[in-house]
Amino acid sequence: MSHNIFKKALANPLSKAGFIIIVMVFLLAMLAPVISPYDPDEINVKAILLGPSWQHWMGTDGLGRDVLSRMLFGGRISLLVGLVAVGISTAIGILLGAIAGYYRGWVDTLIMRLVDVMLSIPSFFLILAVIAFLTPSIVNVMIVIGLTSWMGVTRLVRAEFLSLSGREFVMASRTLGAKDARLIFTHLLPNSLTPIIVSSVLGIAGAVLMESGLSFLGLGVQAPQASWGNILTDGKDYIQFAWWLSLFPGLAILITVLGYNLLGEGLRDALDPRSSSNK
Amino acid sequence: MIKYLIKRVLWMIPLLVGISLISFFIMHLAPGDITSNEASFNPKASEESRQRLRELYNLDKPVIVQYGLWLKRMATLDFGTSFASHQKPVFWQTKDKDGNVNKGLIQEALPITLLINVLGLMITLMLAIPLGIIAASTYNRWQDKSITLFNFIGFSIPGFWLSLLLMYWLGVVNNWLPISGLHSLNYESLDAFGKFKDSVNHLILPVLIPSITGLAGITLFVKNGMLDVFHQDYITTARAKGLSEHKVVYTHALRNALLPLITIVGLSIPGLIGGSVIAETIFAIPGMGKLFYDSVMMRDFPVVMGILTIGSALTLVGNLIADIAYAWADPRVRRGVVRD
Repeated sequence: MSHNIFKKALANPLSKAGFIIIVMVFLLAMLAPVISPYDPDEINVKAILLGPSWQHWMGTDGLGRDVLSRMLFGGRISLLVGLVAVGISTAIGILLGAIAGYYRGWVDTLIMRLVDVMLSIPSFFLILAVIAFLTPSIVNVMIVIGLTSWMGVTRLVRAEFLSLSGREFVMASRTLGAKDARLIFTHLLPNSLTPIIVSSVLGIAGAVLMESGLSFLGLGVQAPQASWGNILTDGKDYIQFAWWLSLFPGLAILITVLGYNLLGEGLRDALDPRSSSNK
Repeated sequence: MIKYLIKRVLWMIPLLVGISLISFFIMHLAPGDITSNEASFNPKASEESRQRLRELYNLDKPVIVQYGLWLKRMATLDFGTSFASHQKPVFWQTKDKDGNVNKGLIQEALPITLLINVLGLMITLMLAIPLGIIAASTYNRWQDKSITLFNFIGFSIPGFWLSLLLMYWLGVVNNWLPISGLHSLNYESLDAFGKFKDSVNHLILPVLIPSITGLAGITLFVKNGMLDVFHQDYITTARAKGLSEHKVVYTHALRNALLPLITIVGLSIPGLIGGSVIAETIFAIPGMGKLFYDSVMMRDFPVVMGILTIGSALTLVGNLIADIAYAWADPRVRRGVVRD
């Protein structure tokens, strides 16, 4: 089932473009040690704030470091944060959503009220406070983004479980004496997987944006380690005479997030029985 | 309707308790005694202020008692005073014994953030509704496709990056707009019209940028709402009885498609309040977001907890207003035909 959906999604030119963007960005980030022209942390006082040229395609920053190399290595961090944060939120979401949707009753009420509470706290405030009170680091950023963005998946999984429980194949299995674990892991969860994947892909887009925003405020990935967000923060101070420091990291974030969004929406469209491509 | 309202308001109480628990928990996340932490990050903190902090939060008592006492103070809207800003009250003004009014930090910051967000939301809606209608009525043609592409870019563009670029281009290169604060230095010397113009100029970028980035979501929502409505029987009926396409779209479809928008606007409130952090920091606007960021960086715990609680309470109130508006606008809910 999910195989077909990916095939259908990739038939749409926009989601195909998204898929290609993601693959390209990942390739560039993974190959960073091989293709980077310079050491990303190498300070060169003779080459401070040079504009883009053949030697430095994206120019150099205030410490004479090569921006292209920093962008490539920074990409690894931004991509990693997105994946791990969404991995955490998806795992929590599946667990809580499955419990709520399967057992119902007071557990369901409790979990859903927790979702309501978490949704009413402005999440950026929450994330900012927690990261600043703990010390800012990549690990904390990933954990905190994950811990504050599981609510959507929880609702999704719960809704899927509720609707699937009433279907004949689940009732049949239950009548035949299947245990809870078997029902959950062989019937309910696999059949809820596609919407979870869609929401995760879109979630990664949000997490990449969130990380760059936090790093921009100085609360994300800490210098000297490069991330797109903190290259941009440096760029902010030099914006009057070194536009390349602000332009390229922002473009990289835009393109990556765009890729995830295109792919995610394409998958959602392919999944939605009401959407036009299915008619 | 009255019964629905009462039920709806009572629902907020457990949520508020949950919010207070999480806000309280966050303060206790900071490693070690919060007084030592606060002191180590804020050079202004004296032994006296540490003692005040200990008393304020009853740190010598068990955690559960601390929470209970804090909740009790919060229920009377007493959020304490700030450490960092000369002991200003966190929430609302107080009078000292000489009768001097001491304005609250949130009292001063909240109207600014609300003004910016309300203006931004109005601009977003004014642009998003027509765009959504156009996209839906030209479905799969080039107009719809370009709006879709624009939406994707709007979803994906980092707002702070767009702010930086526009600030640079409009403010620094061309010097058309001021790039920080709410007023110019010579604000006091301007006449009424000059003051108005000055304020408007300062607000253009901070209002416009969040509305551009928020545009995508609402446009998509309006478009999908319209498309859904187009498939309803009463639209087919309207077309079948020979109404003009204009009439079908604007009097039959639009009103029903816009209904759910009320809920979406309500749901977008926490995002708007949270999103104000970056925008206000970039443009140096003294609103809730900047106050929160500054307080977090200075470990000004009473302000951080105050804003977390009030920001969340505002979200609840916003959702309540949205629900009431929905019930009022939708005759099915108003007359109790459909239960929520």
